[in-house]
Amino acid sequence: MPLPPKLFDRGLLSLRRNRAVVQKSRDDFLLAHASAEFGDRLGAINRVFEHCLAYNARNGVLKQALQASGKTGHIIAADCSAAMLAGPRTQGLLYDEEALPVAGGRLDLIASAMSLHWANDLPGALLQIRQALKPDGLFLGAMLGGDTLHELRQSLLRAESELTGGASARVAPMADVREVGGLMQRAGFTLPVVDADRLEARYDSLFHLIGDLRAMALTNIMLDRPKTATSRALFARAAEIYHEDFAHADGRIPATFHVIYLTGWAEHESQQKPLRPGSAKQRLADALGTVEHKLKE
Amino acid sequence: MADDKPADTTPAGPPSAEAGDIDPRLLEILVCPLTKDTLEYDRQRAELISKKAQLAYPIREGIPIMLPEEARHLDDDA
Repeated sequence: MPLPPKLFDRGLLSLRRNRAVVQKSRDDFLLAHASAEFGDRLGAINRVFEHCLAYNARNGVLKQALQASGKTGHIIAADCSAAMLAGPRTQGLLYDEEALPVAGGRLDLIASAMSLHWANDLPGALLQIRQALKPDGLFLGAMLGGDTLHELRQSLLRAESELTGGASARVAPMADVREVGGLMQRAGFTLPVVDADRLEARYDSLFHLIGDLRAMALTNIMLDRPKTATSRALFARAAEIYHEDFAHADGRIPATFHVIYLTGWAEHESQQKPLRPGSAKQRLADALGTVEHKLKE
Repeated sequence: MADDKPADTTPAGPPSAEAGDIDPRLLEILVCPLTKDTLEYDRQRAELISKKAQLAYPIREGIPIMLPEEARHLDDDA
């Protein structure tokens, strides 16, 4: 099967995450949000997950949130960045989510926070996750999608077409909630649920927003990103457009983040399933207390 | 996909906190990211070896680096 064209430079992602570690003063609010959400979702499940994998090792935020739910046993912290994994207690696993180094059917829980939006092959990554789970194992995922950063995309696009008459790939394409639901089914998850949360962050200017994106390692890693340094004039014009078109009354600008949550299970006989068509033991008409009319051929 | 036969790993030796040491619970589940085959653990060299892929994945400060681009090719042996 031919592989789809690659969108993202995965090696650059590791570098960006290594660099983002330096900016320790900044919190990754998206990771904090996703981690808390995972904790809530685990809290509502009446069982303990013995062997767990937590992908995104930044500051131990995800691992701590999973532990705080009281529903996890041993958790392996994983990341694609060595700097993110480095810490006082050296324990962890470094890999690329597109090539999961875990044997089939070994884990009870895999949680992936704020990372799958950079996958070149999302169906492949999801399939590998499902295969690494034990029967009745759970996958929790959170990724950016939908109209994330649409204000930034529009402002840059307009500024660039005004100044150069062209447009280049500056904000990554985002997955759609419905598409992701289909991918979960294709990957063979049972009881898949995909939902989304919309967050709005406010910044003083486009430059503050970009600083925050850099700290969260969310800046452009597209393979066909512009390779020459972007001119100051372009950013300055984009900042003006952003302000004119989107600023709130307080003069600050909003940035939309659309977080898609993915939940799915590895198949197990204890899970609810639809009955096979034609296997009903009671007539619907009886249950409704009405008369059944046969369809005319 | 690899089957469930246990990985032949963990050579006997006194426990020590060396850089190449790895959490046994982690070792138990790891496979080669490319071939999904079981790995051999070379504690001396701090490497996880995939015979099929002809790659040795390094273990740095207890962290297995499971990236083919960071792995040593077995034929260009030192």
